Amino acid sequence: MKIATNILVLCALLFAACQAPIIRRVPEFNGDLVAAGHRKIAQAPAHDKNRWRLITAVHALNLGQHDEARTLLTTAMPSAGQILQSDARTRLAQSLFSPENIKGFHGESHERAMGWFYRGMFYWMDDEPDNARACFRTAQLMDALAAQPKHRADWVLIDYLDGYITTKLGRDGGDARTRAQANVGTTALPDYNLKANVMVFLQFGFGPMKKTGGDVGEKIVYDGGHSQVRAARITVGGRTLIAPAFDNLTFQASTRGNRAMDAILAKKAGIKKTGDLVGDIGVTAGAILTSEPKTEGAGVALLGAGLAGKIIGGSTEPRADTRTWTNLPQHLSFAALQLPTGTHTAVIEFLDTNGIALPDRQKNVSVTVQTGRDTVLFVSD
Amino acid sequence: MKHITTLFIGIALWVAVGCTNINSQHGPSVTELRPGERGFVVGLGIESQDLVTISEKMARGILGAEPISNAEGKPVVVLEPINNDTRFPIDKDIFLTRIRVALSKNAAGKISFVAREHMDKLEKERDLKISGQVTGGEKITGNKFKGADFILTGTFKAISSRGASGASDYVLYTFQLIDPDTSDIVWEDFHEIKKQGKDDVTYR
Repeated sequence: MKIATNILVLCALLFAACQAPIIRRVPEFNGDLVAAGHRKIAQAPAHDKNRWRLITAVHALNLGQHDEARTLLTTAMPSAGQILQSDARTRLAQSLFSPENIKGFHGESHERAMGWFYRGMFYWMDDEPDNARACFRTAQLMDALAAQPKHRADWVLIDYLDGYITTKLGRDGGDARTRAQANVGTTALPDYNLKANVMVFLQFGFGPMKKTGGDVGEKIVYDGGHSQVRAARITVGGRTLIAPAFDNLTFQASTRGNRAMDAILAKKAGIKKTGDLVGDIGVTAGAILTSEPKTEGAGVALLGAGLAGKIIGGSTEPRADTRTWTNLPQHLSFAALQLPTGTHTAVIEFLDTNGIALPDRQKNVSVTVQTGRDTVLFVSD
Repeated sequence: MKHITTLFIGIALWVAVGCTNINSQHGPSVTELRPGERGFVVGLGIESQDLVTISEKMARGILGAEPISNAEGKPVVVLEPINNDTRFPIDKDIFLTRIRVALSKNAAGKISFVAREHMDKLEKERDLKISGQVTGGEKITGNKFKGADFILTGTFKAISSRGASGASDYVLYTFQLIDPDTSDIVWEDFHEIKKQGKDDVTYR
């Protein structure tokens, strides 16, 4: 009879532990990525809206809806000097019984850097190169917390553009360019063309994705991004220019190193694993001992301890925040051209690792060059 | 019975007050502050209290500057955009506008400013008058647009750092009054602000 009771208790425990899967409906989609993005922003909980704003901003950028992209980025991102303060959600994210992704989304350092990179590009489009440079500097600062000193603030294009704008504004941008060249390795970065009036920002491929790692999901690991494209060939006005890949986002994401939050998650993971272990041992041993009248008392105590362990282990949430800005590229590239005032058509071919143009990727882009200001183009493969 | 009712009401009130939803739409109400006051949303960047402090300081400095205080007649000042060499994107006109307004308010007609940023519209209006399409053309004899006696401009520079212990930003604000005929800097002043802070641990 007691065995039957014990089996019933165990069955009840098993049933209680089994959770029905969460059913997620397929989102409505009518082909308009920006409209779909806005629907996602509206539907998303408050702490996740910014992620959808960032994703939608890149969709808008790819579709040439620059005002839309700019507004979404400005709304989603804190101002350059803002301190990300503690709030109810960040406190919950640190608590034992809530996962990290309950906090408001601001992204990891490579995502924050990309946000500032895009905003810098928009300032340059608005003919405010010094504000563009300000954004690039903030972007670089986002990477200053990498674990290894050699990986701190090592974005190549960001330093290159900092130096370029400084030089264009009549100051010495040599230091920034030297840093960019040191970080890019063997690729020879193009010299600054001070007469260039068309700035072409290019991006290739699919960027890195976060996934959970560790025994109980307490770590973030990166699934590397992918790109067939390694460079772009730009032909315009009878001239051809090769734009190499300056930065690799998977490299930037994976060289971040440990976050301060990782120590908190590791502690939570330790408690979860210990709770589960105590639970497994306590429940099993307790069930066996309670079946004998002589050891029933000890068995009940062990069963109780095991249940308590199971409850703590089962309720502890050490999962790292793997929400990702999903449509970032794998590579960033840039080229500067000098074109006469007027409208031109630029042919952009995307080249693979062997320098061969991928036939299905060619793009023809119309460029309208104005006098007295730079024209900024954005092209994605 | 009375005690039980009181206890029950007390518990109900406590629960109602204590239960808050962190997704609640009913966030804190809007608080109006003076622009020179430090708000509760603080950052390392250039903020309204910096703008107010610096523009007032510069306006006082310009009014006391010898070329302005001893000038014969009303010197004409042209504002040139600030060179932003920091990591903070800024509205570059806001500082100069704030200084201009402070000067206009306190200088009691000792300085005049010209609206060069509206030159296109002003030229258009003048041409309409001269062509007789609108009235007032008879008063225009020759070019009446004023040249600058002084150019007011500035440069913001910064040293920014970020590490495990937090982030720090030092910003040096410098303003100059330049004589365009000689390129002499006739007045110059600066203000410096250093701020440091630390993101919440969940974002570091």
